[in-house]
Amino acid sequence: MTDHQLPASGSRWRRRGRTVGFAANTTVAWLFALVFSFPLIWTFFTALKPGNEVFGAQISFIGSKVLWSNFVDAWTEVDFGRLLVNSLVVAAISTVLTLIVATLTAFAFARLRFPGRSAIFLLFVITLTLPSEVAVVPLFLGFDQAGLADTWFALIIPGLFGAFGAFLLRQFMLQIPGELEEAARLDGASTWRLLISVIVPLVRPALSVLAIFAFLGSWNSFLWPLIILNSSDKWTIPIGIAGFTTQTGTQWELLMAACVMTIAPVVVVVVFAQRQLVAAIGAGAFGGR
Amino acid sequence: MTFVRLDRAEEEVADGSVAPPDPPKDRLRRRPLGGPRWVGWAFVLPGLIGLAVFIVIPQIASLILGFSDSTLLGGTQFTGAENYARLLRDPQFLNSVLVTAIFVLVYVPANIAISMAMAMWLKTRIAGRNWIRVIFLIPALSPMVANAAVFRLLFQQDGVINQALAAIGLGPIPWLSDGNWALAVVIGVSVWQSFGYNMIVLGAGLDSISPDVIAASKIDGAGRVRRLVSITLPLVSPALFFTTVLTVIGAWQTFAQAYVITGGGPGNSTMTIMLYLYQTAFTNNELGYASAIATVLFLIIAIFTLFQLWGQKKWVHYD
Repeated sequence: MTDHQLPASGSRWRRRGRTVGFAANTTVAWLFALVFSFPLIWTFFTALKPGNEVFGAQISFIGSKVLWSNFVDAWTEVDFGRLLVNSLVVAAISTVLTLIVATLTAFAFARLRFPGRSAIFLLFVITLTLPSEVAVVPLFLGFDQAGLADTWFALIIPGLFGAFGAFLLRQFMLQIPGELEEAARLDGASTWRLLISVIVPLVRPALSVLAIFAFLGSWNSFLWPLIILNSSDKWTIPIGIAGFTTQTGTQWELLMAACVMTIAPVVVVVVFAQRQLVAAIGAGAFGGR
Repeated sequence: MTFVRLDRAEEEVADGSVAPPDPPKDRLRRRPLGGPRWVGWAFVLPGLIGLAVFIVIPQIASLILGFSDSTLLGGTQFTGAENYARLLRDPQFLNSVLVTAIFVLVYVPANIAISMAMAMWLKTRIAGRNWIRVIFLIPALSPMVANAAVFRLLFQQDGVINQALAAIGLGPIPWLSDGNWALAVVIGVSVWQSFGYNMIVLGAGLDSISPDVIAASKIDGAGRVRRLVSITLPLVSPALFFTTVLTVIGAWQTFAQAYVITGGGPGNSTMTIMLYLYQTAFTNNELGYASAIATVLFLIIAIFTLFQLWGQKKWVHYD
């Protein structure tokens, strides 16, 4: 920890001391980050090794040859191509629907008065602390009775109604000045028109953050797809990876290639949207998963 | 920082209601749904129905199913408290409660302590601070299954961790074939994966502390420890409370790590409640019994959450 000096410490020695402290602090922090990311680095290098060298006699990052073909083989062995398409389609549909539901709900809470609003809002707050995964059995039973087990419909629908998205958007909508709303009303805009033409354009940044969260939530989801999907042609990536991991005689180099391709999109999203993500997580609008 | 006060939702509502003025009288067209007073219902309805059907009702149905011998294809008989009597005699279940309790007791403090320490460290002067933050955040937003697969490789008997230990003359450690080590690995991967998330939340809490307060405490001669105890922790306590509550709720429901890394083994040493529930329901097809397990898990989580809500008066400071 460097000292938060009061801005009056001007002696040369002190300045030099702080530069050394800064350099040391930076070095230690980056070393820690490097150790922390070792598993992912190792994953990447393992994905490029020949299968018989995954567990070598010595630790080496590079095998006797660098096999980019492992990534191609993963598409055939793990059937990664189909898993990827499934995951992308499911995540895209989930994201769009989540945004629509959350926008409507947030708008009602933030800008409209209606009988029972407080009670409904309270219900939404309470569901935040409900352990959602505990209720998977009746959820499965319900879809099964309705003949909807093993469908993407059943996979997607239950994930759309978490209260987090509505709360995040509500926070942003509360900050929109009332004058804009009144002006739109005076121009004869209906409530619907007001939402679409005034509110939504103003909360676009929040919508894009929510889109990222909804997408990642779907991309990472494991327990529910594991339960509701039977046929392997509907599987999403996590189900495929779990199946491939837990079978005997795992081909680690192909599995790691699949893991690299699974984590890479997340890395890209996090790197490009880091500021928005950090702000949104920091806003406390999203709890742990 | 706007934290939803989990115990004071009414206040939240009260402060929310300052914003929307009553919509002015309808000038040009008739509004649908019997006029402006009810128009809000039209907007809240999709989310409300979804919340009721897919979140609230399943929770209630789970409580009810716990008193039945429901299976997937057979009929459903109500059997009273029989499932619960059986749970108390079920060594597998009792073991899963113990395993999960150990998990929670180690994982939550470790997660919060590391998140807090890293959040404070990243407040200091570090070149490329934002990139370090991103590195820590990546696993938290990646699929747990992929992370778990990676750790399963690292901790193989002839995997790279044991090779590194051998290089410095230690090991090999039976990471995945010894019960205690396997649970340690599952806890370790969980902390590794998730602390980046809480680090960001707590970092935002630290950012909201005004520098003037820190400066004033320095002028008053407060040392570092004193400043941490008397200034930083109290001011960051709402964020700390929020993260702790949600981390505990998540920890009791741990599933994917155990499923992928160890499958609950060796010898049920990493069989979490959620994994046991899953196997009971979807391998053994005992949906009623699994719902009883779910009810117990629900109660455990409820007790922990209520206890924390009650305890927050003692240490959480909302301004």
